Amino acid sequence: MRKALTVLLLTAAITLPFMFFDILPDIGDPASAPNSHVSDYYIEHAIDECNSPNMVTAVIVDYRAFDTMFETTVMFLAGVAVILILAYHPKRRLIVPSRFRRFDARTGEPMYNTVNKDVMVSIIQALILIYAIYVLFHGEVSLGGGFQAGALIGMTYLLDVMVCRREVPLFRLGKFKAAGTAGLGPFIYAVTGLLPFIGGGLYLQYSKLPFPVHEAELHSIGITIVEIGVTIGVAGTIIAIINALRERIAFDDEL
Amino acid sequence: MLTTVNAFLAAKGIYLLTFILFSLGTAGMIVCNNYMKKLICMNIMQVAVIFFFLCLGQKNGGTFPVALSEAVRAEEYINPLPHGLMLTAIVVSLGTTGVGLSLLLRLLRIREKYGTVEEDEIIRREQKI
Repeated sequence: MRKALTVLLLTAAITLPFMFFDILPDIGDPASAPNSHVSDYYIEHAIDECNSPNMVTAVIVDYRAFDTMFETTVMFLAGVAVILILAYHPKRRLIVPSRFRRFDARTGEPMYNTVNKDVMVSIIQALILIYAIYVLFHGEVSLGGGFQAGALIGMTYLLDVMVCRREVPLFRLGKFKAAGTAGLGPFIYAVTGLLPFIGGGLYLQYSKLPFPVHEAELHSIGITIVEIGVTIGVAGTIIAIINALRERIAFDDEL
Repeated sequence: MLTTVNAFLAAKGIYLLTFILFSLGTAGMIVCNNYMKKLICMNIMQVAVIFFFLCLGQKNGGTFPVALSEAVRAEEYINPLPHGLMLTAIVVSLGTTGVGLSLLLRLLRIREKYGTVEEDEIIRREQKI
């Protein structure tokens, strides 16, 4: 009762000022403020200026490329922060508490009689990885992008770790190697930003990349390289966070 | 009367739902005593904010923001800007959730060792040892 009252009061307090004073625009109104000024420019010039029919990708990695670069860096720092907070002991003693020991993998006997989940998960993982590659490389011409592909790869690893409990995981990345991989992503992004200096351009100006192709193609190449960097960064961060959380390394005060 | 309510809900109804979701998250963070539940409620709150921004990007008669032909008119496509911003927000919320979970593990460890998470108590016991 008390909780329901809290939710009701909070909803009323937040909703009433917004709903009845016309601060918010109507849903679906093409002339409303968020839909009128800068977004029209993005929609109408995405193909001419960025050679990217997917306007979301054009906004993320071309018009607002600086923003995305530091978002990727934030992801990398989050992965590093998780590892640092769960700091490891120098002896690297892996502690499995006795109350978790009975959940260990039972080899030999299948858990279910109906579907062998190890076989099924292997098939599903392959399909998810193919889909991730597709989403990555078609990011600028159809729906997709680097963040989604990275999240798909990370979720594949999560599926592998949580469902199968194999001896050898899908990606042989410990938490430190995974964090290093996550740092590689922003590095690729930043180096791609530096390349146009050779052609006499500005930072992240894809049309001045030093490749001998047409200017529109240069935009596609730049967007693809940057999205590969974003994918590596996001996937590495997710794998680093998962590994750091599930490896119960002793804390530095535990011995 | 009924048409007025109908028009109001058609124009502003979705905001009401997102505000209810936001309030659920906030109330959960205040009311729940379990830190895990607090973390989940924080995620619910983030999802509500993301929904709110995505609502602002809708347009009547617009399709998804991928150009289907060469000639592009702005009325035919929904606003790509909130989608782009919220895409990064979703991924960053994943990072914050990871950091929160690791802090939670650390807190559990402190609780195991000292039997409390109050700073005064921990300092007193540390001095006693």
